[in-house]
Amino acid sequence: MKWEISTLEELEDKIWRCTACGNCKTAYKFGPPPAFGEICPAGVEFGFDGMMASKGKIAFARGILDGELEWTEDFLDAVYKCTVCGGCQNQCELDHKPFIPEIIEAMRRKAVAEGAGPMPSQKKISQSLSAYNNPYQGPRRVRTDWTRPFKKAKKPIKNINKEPADILYYVGCTGAFNLPARGVPTATASIFQKLGLDFGILGENEICCGSTAMRIGDAEEFKRVAEANLEMFQRLHEEKGVNTIVTSCAGCYRAIKKDYILAADYDKIMNGIRVVHTVDLLNGLFQEGKLKFSGELPMKVTYHDPCHTGRHLNKFEIDEDGSKLWKGAYVGLNEEDCLYDVPRELLKAIPGIEFTEMERIRDNSYCCGGGGGVMTGYGDWAAKNASRRIEEGMATGAEHMVSICPFCHYNLNEGSKRIKSDMQLYDLVELLDQVIPEPE
Amino acid sequence: MLAKREDMILDELRSIVGKDNATAAKHIRYAYSYDLSFVKPKLPDYVVMATTVEQVQGIMKLANREKIPVVPFTAGTNIGGLCIPERGGILLDLKRMNKILRLDTESHYAVIEPGVSHAKLATELYKHNLRWSWPVGPPSACSASCAISHGIGGLSGRYGLNSEEITSMEVVLPTGELVRAGSCAIQEDAWHSVLPLPQLDGLFKGWLGTTGVVTKLGLRVHPIPPVLKVFTVSTRNIEDMVSYVFNLGNYEICDDLTAVSWWLAQVPIPYPYTPKPDDTPEWFCFGTTFSWTEKEKEAREEIWQNVLKEEQNKGTSIEYAEYPEEALRARTQLPSQIVGSTKNYTKMAGGGISWPGTFTPVNKWAPVYNKWKDILIEHNLSPAVRVTNYRGVHYGMLRAMIPFNKKSSAETENARKAIVECLKVDLDAGGIPYKPPVDFAVEINKRAHPGYLSLLKQVKKLLDPNDIMNPGKLGI
Ligand SMILES: Cc1cc2nc3c(=O)[nH]c(=O)nc-3n(C[C@H](O)[C@H](O)[C@H](O)COP(=O)(O)OP(=O)(O)OC[C@H]3O[C@@H](n4cnc5c(N)ncnc54)[C@H](O)[C@@H]3O)c2cc1C
Ligand code: SF4
Ligand code: SF4
Repeated sequence: MKWEISTLEELEDKIWRCTACGNCKTAYKFGPPPAFGEICPAGVEFGFDGMMASKGKIAFARGILDGELEWTEDFLDAVYKCTVCGGCQNQCELDHKPFIPEIIEAMRRKAVAEGAGPMPSQKKISQSLSAYNNPYQGPRRVRTDWTRPFKKAKKPIKNINKEPADILYYVGCTGAFNLPARGVPTATASIFQKLGLDFGILGENEICCGSTAMRIGDAEEFKRVAEANLEMFQRLHEEKGVNTIVTSCAGCYRAIKKDYILAADYDKIMNGIRVVHTVDLLNGLFQEGKLKFSGELPMKVTYHDPCHTGRHLNKFEIDEDGSKLWKGAYVGLNEEDCLYDVPRELLKAIPGIEFTEMERIRDNSYCCGGGGGVMTGYGDWAAKNASRRIEEGMATGAEHMVSICPFCHYNLNEGSKRIKSDMQLYDLVELLDQVIPEPE
Repeated sequence: MLAKREDMILDELRSIVGKDNATAAKHIRYAYSYDLSFVKPKLPDYVVMATTVEQVQGIMKLANREKIPVVPFTAGTNIGGLCIPERGGILLDLKRMNKILRLDTESHYAVIEPGVSHAKLATELYKHNLRWSWPVGPPSACSASCAISHGIGGLSGRYGLNSEEITSMEVVLPTGELVRAGSCAIQEDAWHSVLPLPQLDGLFKGWLGTTGVVTKLGLRVHPIPPVLKVFTVSTRNIEDMVSYVFNLGNYEICDDLTAVSWWLAQVPIPYPYTPKPDDTPEWFCFGTTFSWTEKEKEAREEIWQNVLKEEQNKGTSIEYAEYPEEALRARTQLPSQIVGSTKNYTKMAGGGISWPGTFTPVNKWAPVYNKWKDILIEHNLSPAVRVTNYRGVHYGMLRAMIPFNKKSSAETENARKAIVECLKVDLDAGGIPYKPPVDFAVEINKRAHPGYLSLLKQVKKLLDPNDIMNPGKLGI
């Protein structure tokens, strides 16, 4: 399969568009009232300008390209101390804006290609991927452990390899292997069953989406799993009637929506297949009146926008042929794919829920700290950063925090434990499952 | 031997600020080696982040003892290479000294640390319906640095330079000694005024970080009247714009009275030079006025209408004009991310901006602009020029914002040459550049009275006997 994944050298023209204005170092909106907040988890923790925001990352990229910077242990470490959250990207207005995460990851790809990266602690991700097809060193059969209660309750979930279904529920490795995050697939499948949706899972045959590999610069491993997945999606569409792929994992969702399109044949392969996040699917049903609630959940909550279901899904308009501004100009962005309102609407619709917002939300959401390989590479920092986000949530007076990403789920709960907070992170599906009644 | 000394210094720096806050790692130093401007990149030897006054004192004592240069830095957005170390040394990053120490909402002043950004201060002040004279620069840049660098902003038409808003300061001298200027020097807790004492704060304003490290700064802040009216006009030439700005400026009713050439009104500035369409005016002006009541606004508007009529009666080309929407937002909704992101300046050119930024009396604007236009067009650069009145008609600001393609060293050098040439024209007409890069400082000094240079050197020697503070920037 042919892929259009850029090298750092191919991005050089973009890299030189950065003025070093530092606008990316803080989130700010004029309002009125004006709103200001720290936006870069790496900058908050490590402080030096090189570590902070795209201003710093682009300095690193420039240094590599002009031959000033070589892969020392410290430099490599600095390149990987970034959650690739895109918070910095959101502040930038110049022509390289659409490529900022790409530039960061291209540096990592270069590091991997030259034998320097990823970080030693992250190497196990790649090794695990090639040995187990998941980043958690989990044996295949463990992938379906979360389905046991369903079997026990005599409500088995369809194995899509054996039975056709309209919807493929792509579970993702974190939901399947990470014990504290298993509530996410459990609640998702429970809701789908209650709603009578025709869905199935790949079970032991599911393999990683490749998101983590891509984030840490291991493009080869990413391509291997992505190609296998794309071929499987096409086969399931043709042979098992799958028209929709749904996932509750923000990382998988982002990978399939944004990384897989770098495959030259993406449109051909995915023709006729819709990729949606679970909350989007549920919101559609809610709007059609097909999703009803019973009972109450008296809870004061706030909502954390995962980077991967938010600003990572921006669609950037680039003037490819120079007909609007000039060739390669960044023209504007479209947020229609970003899941900002959908989860909030569903959350607010739950009877008994009292909803309150944090200061840094939507496109300026403050990353939980777990992305970009940071949870594996720098677990302590990831949890420390999550504590900062939890504190922001607590400051609103909310008891609990809600999100739609198993990564954020795990990391924010770790952050909460770290500061001995009572605040828990729930996935939205976990709350919805409690108020969606069994069919009569 | 040399390596040993460097290690020893790094160890000592780490013992002052903590192990994670001082480094000699090249990738960290590299990120501080360049800025937006044409100034050639140069690496510091160490980067150090301080969080307390005591730490700053410790760093200065060490640097003074070892005769190591120290370059104060908050965000490095000065557009003059002022934080690029001429002679290596310690890059002192103060962004983590970012506390707003006091907000006196009755007496209208704030006391801040140097790392407080415009974005942070604006957000805090707004909660009390207060504001400051925000520059049209990045919201992430710092207010204290703007003030001590004679920065200017959206209220400068009314109150003058941001350095005139300083009410008190605390400074660590190059020797490590802690000093104060203004009321806080007499009464520890009084930060309201630098007057009527001798204005010792002048020893640290406009000195480009070459005389000491400001660690606390008192700043006057102002209420936000609720009614905004922006007066917008255009003219076909600079002479007619000068006539209008003089006339309206006399009434001192604008917070900001700025005119920009057609090239600067474009978002972004065209690069390379693009001729202006013949049927378009060459100059656009906006005057912002804030009023407490509709009646007050109407009275101000009446003055403006009269001025407009007077100018039309003179037979000038003045017309009421719609100012381009995005450009107007960029200059009136401050701090502004539009301008701060440099989108309207260098999005088209790519990567670089520099300016001949000067204080030039209003009656010199037209001859200087006309020469600048020739020079810039000759270098294939847009004459993206701004003129502004500060404090009524007292100061005139004249500036060309010059974007360039930083990837190309030839284009960068082309811009540098054009800018320095423009600067010389302005200096010869009596203008004075602000936040000057070394290239400008040299030109200033060439023209300076020997007594000025002598005094400058004496003061510098007195405060910084070993010439360690941002050495080389004054061009002496
Ligand atoms: C697009 C754009 C537009 C701009 N428009 C304006 C404008 O309208 N008006 C304006 O005034 N500025 C403008 N600027 C310049 C600049 O953004 C502001 O003046 C800003 O507030 C400077 O803050 P900084 O943190 O970047 O300072 P820095 O660049 O970090 O520092 C400026 C100078 O102060 C010295 N310094 C820093 N901290 C200290 C300290 N604590 N003690 C002693 N010396 C110190 C530094 O060594 C340097 O010489 C603009 C910049 C850009 C990029
Ligand atoms: S990445 Fe964008 S916002 Fe950040 S410094 Fe560069 S140009 Fe400015
Ligand atoms: S992607 Fe996120 S963590 Fe990385 S530099 Fe940007 S804001 Fe910081």
